Amino acid sequence: MSGKHAIQLSQAEIREQRLNLLYKILPILSVLLLIGLWLYASRGYNPKVGSGFPTPAAVWDRTVRLFTAPVKKRSLIMHALVSLRRIGIALAFDWTFGIVFGIIIGWYAKPRAFFSPMFDAFRAVPPLAWIPLITLWFGIGEFPKILIVIFGSLASIVVNVKAGLSTVDRMYLDVGTVFNASPMQTLIKIAIPSSLDAIFAGVRTSTSAAWMVVLAAEMLGADAGVGFLISRGMDSIDMPLVLTGMIAIGIVGAILAILTQLVERLICPWTRKSK
Amino acid sequence: MSDPTTVMTNEERVVYMQQKRKQTQIRDTMLAIAGVLSFLLIWEAVVMSGWVDSKKLCSVLEVFRLFIVKFTDINPDGAVLLVNVWSSLLIALSGFGLAIVIGIPLGWLMGWYRGFDAFMRPIFEIIRPIPPVSWIPLSIVWMGIGLKAKSFIVFFAAFVPCLINSYTGIRQTKEVLKNVGKTFGASNFTIFWKVGIPSSLTMAFAGIKVAIGNAWATLVAAEMLAASSGLGYMILMGRSYGRVDLVILGIVVIGALGVLISLLITRAETYLMRWKKV
Repeated sequence: MSGKHAIQLSQAEIREQRLNLLYKILPILSVLLLIGLWLYASRGYNPKVGSGFPTPAAVWDRTVRLFTAPVKKRSLIMHALVSLRRIGIALAFDWTFGIVFGIIIGWYAKPRAFFSPMFDAFRAVPPLAWIPLITLWFGIGEFPKILIVIFGSLASIVVNVKAGLSTVDRMYLDVGTVFNASPMQTLIKIAIPSSLDAIFAGVRTSTSAAWMVVLAAEMLGADAGVGFLISRGMDSIDMPLVLTGMIAIGIVGAILAILTQLVERLICPWTRKSK
Repeated sequence: MSDPTTVMTNEERVVYMQQKRKQTQIRDTMLAIAGVLSFLLIWEAVVMSGWVDSKKLCSVLEVFRLFIVKFTDINPDGAVLLVNVWSSLLIALSGFGLAIVIGIPLGWLMGWYRGFDAFMRPIFEIIRPIPPVSWIPLSIVWMGIGLKAKSFIVFFAAFVPCLINSYTGIRQTKEVLKNVGKTFGASNFTIFWKVGIPSSLTMAFAGIKVAIGNAWATLVAAEMLAASSGLGYMILMGRSYGRVDLVILGIVVIGALGVLISLLITRAETYLMRWKKV
């Protein structure tokens, strides 16, 4: 910018440039600090006994070893896919049933009055508290795990859809009345499109909630999945495995968040806020 | 049209609308009661018809009876109900309190000072996507299975929404308000303190509400994986002894306490935000 012409910069501009440089350096410094902290925390690590906090190198080795010597015949990717399949099925149900149910109780007053107390009670219970009851009912197979994920992520989408539909701008509805729209047209052509962003907020929160719940469900009893890797690491005092699991969960969670955001931008581009 | 309001005087119209609103209110309350009652009746009917194994579902009355008995009876999990409630509350509130005390000021600082934001943001972004539940094994290794480890996990769950909301809240401070401060010669810190923080409080409270939900949900997981008392532990013990009434009671108590806590927070919010006109 200022390289071509040797323009005399004012005092404030020089200061601004220096600050900008500082803002670029600071993030790098903080990441370095984080790595330094990790190294410091792991200085007493003894790989033979497995005591203490594992070093980054040990975690890396363990991650590589997870591919060559899989746990329960599944590599890291396969474990992640098992977990993803579980939340995939659960979310498919959430997004169909949850959106329909949310629309019904958000739009029609009578069902709302009828179902609201029960739904609020259901929502008040933390998803993980259902785990003992569900395992009591359905054992520990694949279905109860998916059911737990559904229980854990259904509320967030229903709440969002309901909120979106019960707060449609009065003016849009009046426009519909003026143009003589039938009740069904008002719902499908006005109310649902105008609450699409709320619905998508529900899709996003339900995805991240599902990812968290599947992890907890797997930690409490499973033989595959990333949550299982963590609890396996904990049981066999294999801390590097625990950290590998945590990092994998973090990465997959971040990817899911980015994906849902991309889809949201594709389907309802007007929600992107101009800064 | 058949709308009767067209042939009325104004006074009549007001009375008519009030009546109509009252009727809707009554109808909604009746529907709500009907909904809950029909749920409970179906539950009872399923139990009585012997459709499901009595080990898998017990009657509503039995849960209620256990609720009363559990105040004095320590079987089968080794603590009376209030002791379990107390130990859960202690963990939830200590982790949650810490999250508010650390998370919200941190969000304010990150939202206001660009340098601090540039420094803290990468650390935060690295830690954020890791679900709090997955910290459980590590925190057990670091701190054992006592109160400290569990409140650490709860802290993690509550910390993120506190920080994000106070950050976004202070970022949304109106430029006009900041400029007024500048015009009157306030220093950057004074503007931060007297303009930025008050205007971010609404968002911060929304974050606190999300945080308490998260904290309460994570608590159950923490207590299931490592505890010797608490509501999560009680549910898990009910599961191991095959006592379905205990499991259902635990779920109901956890849900009810969660509602109670968020009600208290809403109260605190309306009290603290009373200076703000709607």
